[in-house]
Formats: sequence, C-alpha cells, structure tokens
Amino acid sequence: MQQQAPHSTETKGSSQTKPFDGLNIVDVSGTVATSYACKLFADYGATVTNVEPAQGFPTRQLKPFIPSTPGEEPVSAMHGYLHCNKASVVGNHNNLATEPAVTQADLIVYDPATLPNTDSLAGINTNTCAISWFGLTGPYAKYQGSDGVIHALTGLMKGIGEEAGPPIIPNGVQAQIVGGLSAFNGALGHLLGQLMGNLKQPFALDNSIFEANMCMTDLMAINAFNENPLPPRMGINRFPPTYPLGIWPCKDGWLGVTALTPSQWRAFCQLLSLDDFVGVDFFNASINRLASADVLEPAIIQALATHSTEALFHKGQAMRIPLARVPTMEELFTVDQYVSRQAFSNISMQDSTFLAPSIPFRLFDTPPHFGGRVAALGEDNGLDFAETKV
Amino acid sequence: MSTEKLLNGLRIIDLSMGWAGPLAARNLADMGAQVIKVESCTHFDWWRSWEATPEWIEDNGAEKALAYLSVNRNKLDITLDLENPTGRQLLLDLVAQADAVIENYSGAVLPKLKLDYPHLKAVNEQIVMVSMPAFGTTGPWANYRAYGSTVEHSSGLPHLTGSAHQPPTMQHVALGDAIGGLNGTAALLTALWHKQKTGQGQFVDLSQVECLIPLGAEGVLHQSVHNSPPPRTGNDHADFAPHGVYPCKGDDQWILIQVMSEAQWQALQNLCTELNQFSDITDRLERRSALNKTLAQWTANQQSSELMAQLQSLGITAATLNNGLSLLEDEQHKARGYMQWLDRAFVGKQPHPSLPFRNGSDPSPLNTPAPTLGQHNKEVLGGILGLNDAELEKLALEAVIGDKPKLET
Repeated sequence: MQQQAPHSTETKGSSQTKPFDGLNIVDVSGTVATSYACKLFADYGATVTNVEPAQGFPTRQLKPFIPSTPGEEPVSAMHGYLHCNKASVVGNHNNLATEPAVTQADLIVYDPATLPNTDSLAGINTNTCAISWFGLTGPYAKYQGSDGVIHALTGLMKGIGEEAGPPIIPNGVQAQIVGGLSAFNGALGHLLGQLMGNLKQPFALDNSIFEANMCMTDLMAINAFNENPLPPRMGINRFPPTYPLGIWPCKDGWLGVTALTPSQWRAFCQLLSLDDFVGVDFFNASINRLASADVLEPAIIQALATHSTEALFHKGQAMRIPLARVPTMEELFTVDQYVSRQAFSNISMQDSTFLAPSIPFRLFDTPPHFGGRVAALGEDNGLDFAETKV
Repeated sequence: MSTEKLLNGLRIIDLSMGWAGPLAARNLADMGAQVIKVESCTHFDWWRSWEATPEWIEDNGAEKALAYLSVNRNKLDITLDLENPTGRQLLLDLVAQADAVIENYSGAVLPKLKLDYPHLKAVNEQIVMVSMPAFGTTGPWANYRAYGSTVEHSSGLPHLTGSAHQPPTMQHVALGDAIGGLNGTAALLTALWHKQKTGQGQFVDLSQVECLIPLGAEGVLHQSVHNSPPPRTGNDHADFAPHGVYPCKGDDQWILIQVMSEAQWQALQNLCTELNQFSDITDRLERRSALNKTLAQWTANQQSSELMAQLQSLGITAATLNNGLSLLEDEQHKARGYMQWLDRAFVGKQPHPSLPFRNGSDPSPLNTPAPTLGQHNKEVLGGILGLNDAELEKLALEAVIGDKPKLET
C-alpha cells in the first residue's frame, strides 16, 4: 500500500485559473532536467506534451519503481513525479519538425544527447531550450555527464565526508533538478521578454546543468580568487565558517544546529546549560568556535543527549536559535508544518497513488496543481494540437 | 535583444537579505529588471557581516563582503529606516510605482512594520509580493528562523547522504539558500508573467525547505512506494561497479569514476590492466571492495584532471573533484566565458558567475557591480520619488537615510 496524502490534492484554493493557461510546451527528450523544467510549467497550467520515442522517455526507466507483480512492466514513480498533468504522444524523433505537437509549440525543450541526430529539430521556427550537462559549446560539451560528475566539478562533493576521505557523492538526481529549475527560469524570463515586447525574435537557449549548479559553489571560486579559500573538508557535519553547525543525536531523534551570531551562540549555551562557555568572549566569534570545536563538541553532545529533539527544537526557536528537527524520510510525511502546507501531494499513475513533493512556490490567487495524473505512453496520440493552442 | 535587457521596464523592490532572496532578485536584475535593494544603516544586509564592530565599520568592511557582492550586482541600493514613519512611507511610495516586492524576513517582521502584503496592496493593487521565509508564510512554524544549513537539516536530504553507519550527513555550502534563490526567481517570473497577461498582482509564498525537498525526490518516492527509506550506500551504487571517488596524486586530490555500462568497463579495463582480474557486472558487484581497492591503487599515481580528460576521451563517466582554486582554472568555464569580471570600489576587479543560460553562444554580459550602502539614495528617492536635495539632506540629518552602517545601541 503506497502512502497517500490524507486529503484531496488536485487543487488548493478557489481559482481554477493558472498563469500558464494557453502556453504550449513540448518536451522531446524526457531527461530528468528537461522533465523538471516542463513540470514547473505544467504545475502552473501550461499544456505540456511529451513527444516520446516508441520505447518511452528515459525517465520511465528510473528508480524507484512501483511494486508490481512478476512479469509486469516496472512502472517508475520518478517518471510519475516528473510527468503528472502532461500529455504523452509517440513521435518520430528522426524528424521532429513535422510532429503536430512540435509545430504548435511556444517552446520546445530538449537535450541534444537524446536526439538521434542533430538535424532532428532543424527548420523549427519557434523558441527552443536546450538543457545539457555542460552546455552546447566548450571542451566538455561531449563529455559523459551525471549528477555525480556535476557535484564533483562544481566543488560541492569535495567538502562532504570524513576528513581523510573519500568525499561522498550526493544522493539522487539533485544536479538535474537544479538544472531543470534554472532552465525554467531562463525560458520563462525569455518568454516574458517576448510578452513585454522586449524580445522580438524566437530564442535558442543553451542551458548548462554544470553552470546551473555553480549557484551553490561559485562563492568558493570567488573566495579562492581573493586568497581566502575555504578550509579543506573538515569531517562529517563540520563546516566553515562557524561552529556548532551540524546534526547531533538527542534522546529520541536528530537535531540540526546552526549558531552563527554571538547572540545565537549565547542562547544555545543557555538552552543546554553550558555555563562554562557562555561567558567566554573568545567563543563569541564563530571562527574561534570552529577552531575550538574539539573542545566544545563533547560537552554539546553530552548535553543534547539528555533532551528530546522536539522540545529542544521548539524551545530553541523561541529563543531565536535556528534549530531544526532532522526528519527521516518516513517522518517527513507527518511533520505538522509540512502536512499543514501540503508539501506532498498525490500522484495517480496507472492503478497506483503515491506521494511526491509539491511545487515549492505558491501563487495564492492562481494556485498550482497539487499532484495529478500521469499519462500512459502514447495516451494522447491523435490529439488535435491546433485546438489546444490559444 | 540580449538577455541583459529582456526585462527592461520591470521594477522590483528587494527587501531581502543574505543569500536566497538577493539571489532570486539578482537573476531578474541580470535579465534587465530594475532591482532596488532596500537596507537601512542599522539593519543592513546581514551578509555584509553578522559580527559587525566599530573597527569593521571604520575599515569599510560593509563594502568588502564577497558574498554580499556576488548576489547584489546589477542592483540599485537605497537606505530607509523602516521603523521611522517617514522611511516607511517612502517605501510605500516606491512600492506604488513597482511591479514586485521580494522579501525573506522571518514571518513576524513585516506585519509589525505594517509593511506586509495587505499594506502594500493598499498602495498598489497590482503589486506582486514574493515572501520566502524558511518554512513558508503559513503553518505552525511560519515564524521560525533558519539559515541555509537549517533548511538542509529540515529537508530530509541528510538521511539520504552517506553510509548507514554515518549520522545523517549534510552536504552544506548552505545549499538551501542557493536553491531557495532559484525558486524565488521562478516564483517572481511566474507571478510577473500572470501580471503581464492579466494585470493582476498577487501574493506568492515560498518555503525554502520545500524548495529543497525535490532534490531528495528519489528518497521521498522510495519511502512512499515501498514504505521504507532507500538504503544509505555511501558511494556504492546498487547496479554499477566500479562507482566511487578514488584518490589521485597530490594532497586531497580525487577523481569520481562511475562505470555505468559494459562498454565503459571494457574501455577502463583496456586502460588499467590491473582490472583484468574482474569480469562481468555480477562479479564486480560481488567483489566490489577488492575492485575499489585495485582501482584506487591505480588512480593514486595519476593526476586527477589529466585522468578525467583521458577517461572522458574513452567515453567513461569521470570527473576531477574541484575546489575553489581549480574552479577558476576549469577549462569548460574558461571556454564559455562563464566567469566575468567587474571592477568595484573597495575590492577592485572581482569574478562574477554568468547566468547559467544563454541565448546563443555568448553569456549575457554583466553590467554593474554590487552597489555600496545607500549608493543610489539620490537617484531613486530623487529620480523616482521626486525628492529635492534639501529633502534628501533632511532625511540624512534625521537618519532616515545614510551611507554608513551603524551599530544598534
């Protein structure tokens, strides 16, 4: 039995109007990045059509799969998350320019690596949005990419893990999600420029997942240029420029702690009755605490272990300390804050329903879809795309 | 029309501080929107410093904070004491002539100042307002505080990273801020699109924690469909081997190698004959530990960036692990002109990352570095609101505006 949200998740709010009503977006590649970019358009009402090859988009092969009986074709929950509220047609990827959905599109989203040849989109006179690992130019343009490769090259990976190494590979498809989000911004910014009359010609965007993920680490390069490089990897849950900053066990769960300012540090000491530290001026500076972490840590761990996570979290927040519960995957679905905001919503796919993250930004008067239904491969073959165009 | 002028004609009031909100607004500034950042001399952007001292002020420390400089380029900057009725009214006068406002205060701040959405809407029916507190503007934690690290703590991600024997493991770099910023840009653009189409403004709520949850989608979905979390397997992959991070020549030098097909495996075996003792994927998964050890012994004698180029030339998924310094030398970034350079008072010429999307082959040019505190008081309050020099002088005398930080007494 898959987990489900306890209430209706189709829409929240009274208005059925969506910002992207009438906008036609086509995805011809079905990578995680192209799919996520298009998902954001679909969540806010665009007509998004997946033009899939006969074997289906690559996302249909991604874990996790919905449990099935032996002999059945596995069904990807990841595909469901990325593609609800979209249409699916099977098209000829050798000549996409003649596909009805493509000819009617306001924007075509693609990854060149998935196309059978570079001429597949030749002759199209509309907006295009390429999303690739490294961009369309440069010496890495043909390199093999992966989420891990991006995390390695951006510098994110090198800071994660034990001091002695090896550094830890971040989980999942994070880099592609970030790439898709960034491409959505680029595409929408250019569409808005057209709507405002500032851009008269179709655009051909080149989105690099590598560059998109640099938003997390570009400060590393800037600091290094200024001869102020970040220190090397400091260990699990130990990071510059402050201490304490990490995750530690309490009696009944994990607490996330960040004390940056002098007042937060003093309040944290008061919260845990760390009286020996609270009056020491030296520890008011975050960098001094970091240098003294091995001295401070045993006392902090000992004190945390005597409290419940929930009690410390709420009490600490009341004292203006940015503490956090560190929920497990299971607990995520029941955190009262997330339940109250419908942070997860139901995806219906074939005969199954499961929970997936809701879109994180909420327009109050024109709310997004919360969850939705996933089209089967080719379910919308024969759809009249001229009728869907406004 | 280049990207730098795409959004000419839009005016955004940026009340945000730190990383997430300023990054969200900066992306629109990079696309040509006029973004007016509003600080005050006592409540300046905390990313200028969270440990300000008189010495820091004397040394112009507020103008040297690299983090602040990177997310506030292409903006105008004014100071207004929003606790002063005159300062508050001037902000409302600006909002009356703006398209959008963005802020990331904790939940109680703007209502206390009577500058929350109902008050802004009262002076501009069409205003878009994006609020992006850590946990969103609704729910029992709406007023709770967070940094980017807190956002990561709260997102579930730490339970997906690392190995089962390790505690929940952070990726950090305050990535919650950066991802919140990208989502803030998306939120602004979506609401501005609707406003452009219909003339209707609205309130937009963004939870920075919820922005990070999609990055852990695989774990969320696994939990949902299997009623159990995915196993934490560190750098091992359930289906592929070798798959991991291996040491290279030099101090703390590493290479990521992910062999994800038999063609890649054969290419790697041809290069590293020590691997010939291992065979198909079943064998490699069964003897993963020995395989990793053998590969690590081979990579330890290689230079990481050269090995990446060699492996990639053979179609093998591999990457050197960069740090800040090597990022500046990255061949791809150099070839694409990713880092641009802007000269700025107090700090000189500084590298700036380009927008991660480009229309055509060149990055969109960046125009102006981050403003100094209150640099555009005259341009904005005089040019847009029509205040004359005498009125501006009076505002300065009354400490409503200024151009130097002050410590709160």
